[in-house]
Amino acid sequence: MKRRLFRLPRRTAGDIRADVDAEVRFHLEERAEALMAQGVPPDRARAQALEEFGDVDDARRYIEGLDRRTEAAERRRNYLSDLWQDIGYGVRQLRRAPAFAAVAILTLGLGIGANTAIFSLVNGVLLRPLAFPEPDRLFALYSTNHSAGRIEGGVSPLDVDDWRAEQRSFTDLGGYFYLDGLSGLDFTGAGEPQRLTTVFVTPGFFEALAFSPAAGRLPREDEMVRGGRDRVVVLTDRFWRHQFGASPAVLGTTLTLNGAPYEVLGVLPRDLRFPTEGADVYVPYSTIPDQSIPRIRPVRILRVVARVRPGVTAEAAQAEMTTIARRLAAQYPENAAWDDATVRPLRDTITGPVRRPLLVLLGAVGFVLLIACVNVAGLQLARATVRGREIAVRAALGAGRGRIVRQLLTESLVLAGAGCLVGLALAKGTVALLLRISTGQLPRASEVGLDARVLGFAAAASLITGIVFGLIPALPASATDVQGALKQGGRGTVAGRGTRLRSGLVVVEVALAMLLVAGAGLMTRSFVALLEVDPGFVPDRLVAVQFSISTVRHPPPGYANYYQEVIERVRMLPGVISAGAAKDAPFRGVGELIGFTLPGLVVPAGQDAPLAAMLNISDGYFRTIGARMLDGREFTPLDRADAPPVAVVNEAFARRWFPGQRAVGTQLTLDGSTAFEVVGVVNDIRQRAIAEPAQPTIYLDNLQNSRVKTTLVARTRGEPLAMANAMREVIWSLDREQTITTIFTFDDSMRLALGRPRLLTVLLGAFGVFGVLLGALGLYGVLAYLVSQRQREIWLLLALGAAPAAVLGLFVRYGLRLALVGMAIGLAGALAVSRFVGAVLYGVKPTDPATLAAVAAMLLAVAALATWLPARRAAAVQPLEALRAE
Amino acid sequence: MARDPMDLLQGTLDVLILRTLAWGPRHGYAVSRWIHDRTGGALAVQDAPLYKALHRLEHDGCVDAEWGVSDNNRRARYYRLTARGRQRLKVEESAWRRYAAAVFQVLEPA
Repeated sequence: MKRRLFRLPRRTAGDIRADVDAEVRFHLEERAEALMAQGVPPDRARAQALEEFGDVDDARRYIEGLDRRTEAAERRRNYLSDLWQDIGYGVRQLRRAPAFAAVAILTLGLGIGANTAIFSLVNGVLLRPLAFPEPDRLFALYSTNHSAGRIEGGVSPLDVDDWRAEQRSFTDLGGYFYLDGLSGLDFTGAGEPQRLTTVFVTPGFFEALAFSPAAGRLPREDEMVRGGRDRVVVLTDRFWRHQFGASPAVLGTTLTLNGAPYEVLGVLPRDLRFPTEGADVYVPYSTIPDQSIPRIRPVRILRVVARVRPGVTAEAAQAEMTTIARRLAAQYPENAAWDDATVRPLRDTITGPVRRPLLVLLGAVGFVLLIACVNVAGLQLARATVRGREIAVRAALGAGRGRIVRQLLTESLVLAGAGCLVGLALAKGTVALLLRISTGQLPRASEVGLDARVLGFAAAASLITGIVFGLIPALPASATDVQGALKQGGRGTVAGRGTRLRSGLVVVEVALAMLLVAGAGLMTRSFVALLEVDPGFVPDRLVAVQFSISTVRHPPPGYANYYQEVIERVRMLPGVISAGAAKDAPFRGVGELIGFTLPGLVVPAGQDAPLAAMLNISDGYFRTIGARMLDGREFTPLDRADAPPVAVVNEAFARRWFPGQRAVGTQLTLDGSTAFEVVGVVNDIRQRAIAEPAQPTIYLDNLQNSRVKTTLVARTRGEPLAMANAMREVIWSLDREQTITTIFTFDDSMRLALGRPRLLTVLLGAFGVFGVLLGALGLYGVLAYLVSQRQREIWLLLALGAAPAAVLGLFVRYGLRLALVGMAIGLAGALAVSRFVGAVLYGVKPTDPATLAAVAAMLLAVAALATWLPARRAAAVQPLEALRAE
Repeated sequence: MARDPMDLLQGTLDVLILRTLAWGPRHGYAVSRWIHDRTGGALAVQDAPLYKALHRLEHDGCVDAEWGVSDNNRRARYYRLTARGRQRLKVEESAWRRYAAAVFQVLEPA
């Protein structure tokens, strides 16, 4: 198709009507005149012309409509061809400036890539709906004891039954019992004995989640209660594939679990990973015998999931649950203090702990993109100055202001598009890397990936980026005074305005960089503080083998012999320095809560006894993990079941309950019955998390107060993991059917415990470095530009005898002023967001003056260097030479 | 709307217009006269359908229109064949010839 060199101005609807009128009139007049020339009288001639024409009005209407459509199509074609022209032009321009293009695309690529990577984490973990039907209707329910500060407490199986029977807000609710490393069943009769990670569920659990099985069926209500045929098991997809090769033949067969036959009913869908990704099987909670976990109200060990009825608000559900809990508290004395319930969106309970860190990261990485944006805008601005003449020529040739802005904008979008592609490639690699280094730190990690939403985010980020850094330099450039620019021989007149704008950009960049390094500095300080934490034990060369002792094969009192025998034999292994055991190793469980009373401590009537953490350990455990006894002794093999009951308390307990007195020698009454004599005080051992100070804790000897979950710990002479095999052999020599839950070293535990802060530190640090580099680059750029603009003045000054140092000082002062203004703004910003950031910090305030001063000094030093380098070049030139060259 | 004779004539009219414009750009009135003269008035072509066809061909990109000045110094809308129009003419012309030949074969006594 022909392309017009100069397009006709576009026709409006009125223009079209006038054109059609004119065309028809022309025709009629021509025809009439021709007829008149043949001698027809004028009246007859006009009438005949009209008659020959046919329906004039109809034709006019038809043609007008058609022309309007033609015009619109034409306009679209023009727009597209302009766009293609602009893109082609932009690509050519960029190819002409490869260094600029490379720097800009790389900067944007890094910015967009980092953002896309972090966003894909946020998307997978926080934004993607849970893999259940209508996940927004799912809530977690908790028993609440306001007087003890337990808001999100577990729920007893009896309370779950009552809740389920009384509530009207939910279509269904159900409880589940799962503890990492504790809730398991021994699977025998099919090769080596295995410990299966098990979720024990009550009726209503599957119904509340509302999914269908991938194969077979889910247990019926009557198969999940006491007295029913509750020896049934549902397999996870993972276990089904792994163990049975996804064979449907396994349905209806029986598995031997803890020595009893369980019928395989069905298989769960692959994307059901609740409450854990690691589960093997789901079994009715009713199968847990009373001697293992008594079915009484004070045993609040279930988590509860519920699905609200359509139209019921969270507030209404909360109100009903409060009413029910209050009624149960009035009815059952055991529930007296647990007189409330808490309703929370299920999503919050899954992603709660990582929400804040992820949002902090997303914010930081957003600042990185902003800096990249501002930086490229600065580069564009510098180029706009150089291109002032080119733009002026285009303006002189009749390109409108809008057209020039559009062209510059298109160029920016071409850059942003290229940056987006680079960014996506980077993001793909980065996400894989992030997932690898955040193993075990992120819930729902398997749902992280580059999906449509992430791609959309990257595209949107690129588009907005392109518009932002395209518009900033485009506006002044398009306003170029044409005559001035042409007259000045290529020196664009945007200089004055451009310098001010560029200085403004630099201030913004430095401010953002300040924000980022402040975050990075604080996170680093926080991480160092974590590293310096004394966990209360020495993790080197400690290996742990975790297992659960079967009360079927080792009923008391044989249980104690088996337990003690395992520890004694491990101690005799060559290569083992010492060995002991605890129910929960540090960072792998927090023991239990127990009520206690002390002599002289009066508990007011109607109130519960004070609570402390309780952990069952063996003799020699403290010595093995390197904990120190501050007073008294630790347990010895003599503290047997038939010996007087003894207890060790930690420093936090002694400080809290025996301030200024000796704890050793006093009597603790636990659970209102047995009295234990305190025989020692041990230093605080961090149990829940590295960042959490130890709770007041009571340690009991496992021979006097037994638990089946056992973590056997040994300090080794050599490589700790190498000893794990020997330890396992020892266990199997005593009980061939003993399953092993897990094996780990304490160093692993420390690494895991530090994993999330380390990840945050590394990422924020990387963002900070990136921000500072870009900020310095921007500062360098504006100074170098300024120097080149003022070169003649400088030469004159130098030629007139000004000291080079004074000239240098002039520029450095200017650069540093920009940096200082930026830093002040950045600091204000850092203080403004400090409350939000504070939540992810440990051991350092978000307003920590030392850290902020240190990063400010660092940034100032970088800024000084970035200004000094171009300024020095200006002052170093031999003025005469330079003038001659000019 | 009045009865539209164009449906009957559409294909014929288009090819006649294209053929006319193949000789060079001309305005609607000239097209109308040319067809009238060439056929000796045998085809009763009304002008309204003719203009409709011209604008439709413009919409389809077969002709381009531009205002110009007529022989007697009046503003007139001139139509010119585009490359696409030329292509369309070729296709339709040969189709018409084949059609006509087929009809003739039937009508000619064997």
